[in-house]
Amino acid sequence: MTAAAPTATRSALARAEAKPARYYVGLILRYALLIGIGIVLLMPFILAFAGSFKTDSEIIAYPPKFFPAQWLTENWVKVWNTSLGEGATFPRWLFNTAFLSVGVAVLEMIGCSMAAYAFSRLQFPGRDLVFNFMLGTMMIPGAVTLIPAYVLMTKLQLVNTYWALLLPGMVSAGAIFMLTQFFKTVPKDLEEAADIDGASKFQIYKDVILPLARPALLTVFILQFQGMWNSFMAPLLYLDSPRMWVLNVALSVFRQQYQANWSLTLVGAVFNAVPVMLLFFLFSKYYIEGVSYTGVKG
Amino acid sequence: MQVPKTSSRSSANLAAVASFVLIVVVIMLIALMNAPTKGGSGVMASFGSYLAEVRKTGMPYMLVLGLFAIALGVVAATVVRREWPNPQRRRTLIAAYAFLAPYLLVTFIFTVGVILFALYIAFTKYDIFTEPQWVGFQNFANALGKKTFWQSLYNVLWFAVIVTTAQTIIAIALAVILNAPMRFKQFFRTIFYAPSVTSSVVITLIFIWMYLKTGYINLFFDKALGLFGVHWKAIDWLGDPRGLIQIIAQAFGGNIPSDQWYLRGPSIAWMCLMVQNIFTTAPTFMIMFLAALQDINPTLYEAASIDGANGWQQFRKITLPLLRPIILLVIVLGTIGTLQIFDQVYLATAGGPLDTTQTPVYMIYNEALGKQGPIQMGYASSIAFILAAIIFFFTFVQRRVIERGTEQY
Repeated sequence: MTAAAPTATRSALARAEAKPARYYVGLILRYALLIGIGIVLLMPFILAFAGSFKTDSEIIAYPPKFFPAQWLTENWVKVWNTSLGEGATFPRWLFNTAFLSVGVAVLEMIGCSMAAYAFSRLQFPGRDLVFNFMLGTMMIPGAVTLIPAYVLMTKLQLVNTYWALLLPGMVSAGAIFMLTQFFKTVPKDLEEAADIDGASKFQIYKDVILPLARPALLTVFILQFQGMWNSFMAPLLYLDSPRMWVLNVALSVFRQQYQANWSLTLVGAVFNAVPVMLLFFLFSKYYIEGVSYTGVKG
Repeated sequence: MQVPKTSSRSSANLAAVASFVLIVVVIMLIALMNAPTKGGSGVMASFGSYLAEVRKTGMPYMLVLGLFAIALGVVAATVVRREWPNPQRRRTLIAAYAFLAPYLLVTFIFTVGVILFALYIAFTKYDIFTEPQWVGFQNFANALGKKTFWQSLYNVLWFAVIVTTAQTIIAIALAVILNAPMRFKQFFRTIFYAPSVTSSVVITLIFIWMYLKTGYINLFFDKALGLFGVHWKAIDWLGDPRGLIQIIAQAFGGNIPSDQWYLRGPSIAWMCLMVQNIFTTAPTFMIMFLAALQDINPTLYEAASIDGANGWQQFRKITLPLLRPIILLVIVLGTIGTLQIFDQVYLATAGGPLDTTQTPVYMIYNEALGKQGPIQMGYASSIAFILAAIIFFFTFVQRRVIERGTEQY
């Protein structure tokens, strides 16, 4: 713990010289607190991970043991081999989830950056009106649109197709807002040079703005990927045939049909959590920037 | 502006007419898609038969939207006619709306269009497979006359108040802890944020398992109270309908009968879902507070500590006032989210026990898909609009209250 002292700020060091004993006690307490909170926040995942290797009887035995008596990999194999026939298999659900998450994230990067370019860079009549209209749509609770959107999907025969989630997912007001704010911080010099060279607006967008906005686009990608991967109600409504399920829906169905089968449920849960967790640990910088950027808009 | 030549004036007129036609056609197509007809996959089998359906039940709707389309078309045509003669502005106008086209199309079809449809449907009896029948305010009256609906509102209000308050306080506390100078800041920040990354389905399932009678939560109380020699009787957390106020009353030898459910307070099952929700959402809001804390000028704290202010005073007098805008945002977002809680209820309790975890969105889902009886889309829509009105009301009030509080700083 003493190793932490050199990196502490100057004022903290000054205090350390004045009252060494109190300072180190405070330091130890602070790290103990941090580690304690960290353990509490990760505990459900650790327990679920350990639980996914237990036998069915072990998993609901009381008192529960932290680690399984034997680390059984059977649960994992069993979950991977789940099949309800007609192509409704676990790998297929994994594919559905991944495909939709990547699809929505990519479409959104395109659709939202186009709109954001218009809002941030082009002076056109109706700009403020459309922008305020967009901010207004952010206030609409999802509960209102869900049911009528379902009716529309049945009419257009999009239920149980990927389009049911890809089409409405193509744009999101939040992402457009974030990108607009970001584009405004990009200097205009390059664009003006391109403009003088006779580049079209589309060329400027594609060759000047997009490369400069890569970090913001990555943020949009990550946030939308996670949003789609974790979404539940929309896929529950629009993709209800077993072949089209996403992992979340499959998990919920299994939970309701096989109440007692906790070991398999936990495997499914861990399986579902790992990809987004990995993505998050790899790109946590962009991630946190994105969340705070959408948040700190006042 | 220079006087345009006659040829460019006539091309401007042409462009104005073209844009008018384009807008009217697109809006009418969107309106047609969302017209209140019977739904189901067969209804759009052929364009002619669908038009016949629209003619049967959707004419008033189409008429209103037609007027709107014409008005918007006229505005657009006027703008186009004005901008057209100037090549630079003409190009910008065309480019701008071309860039906005995907956004506008998707939003008008899947947000504006469906909301107008839902608004119409809320005044009808509608089961998707037959034509909607106009019933006036009947659906709203039915909802407001039903005990389950009032109980669902009662539940989500408790949920919103407790969860929003707790998660805001915890998020601020976590952010302040993480904002102190330390090593491994990035590491701790990542760990703290982890619960917010996972899907609510996964977290809910894990929590259901931990809340089992033989689960870790009971084990925890068993061990913790065991230290003091107290015997802990395992609770079926998610199946326990006893309310908070009821439990307090029972502790004093009283009780609250079930027909006075509105006095019982949030049930144990409901509070379990609250804890779980706080667990997942507090870290999200923590990140927002952390970003805001990093924007606070450190010289403010230095000046305060020279004046002899201690840590708590600095927090009260500097940090909190400067965080006010973010606090407002977090409370508003938190309220909007909690009033619409669905996933957890769907998975963990299905509204039970004794409707103590019933929520409006769960009711909407059940009524709209006919999970507990006939499909009642109109009724579900009316509940959705009542809920939306409540959400708007809270957002508005919170904004007023917190903004007024800011003026003194």
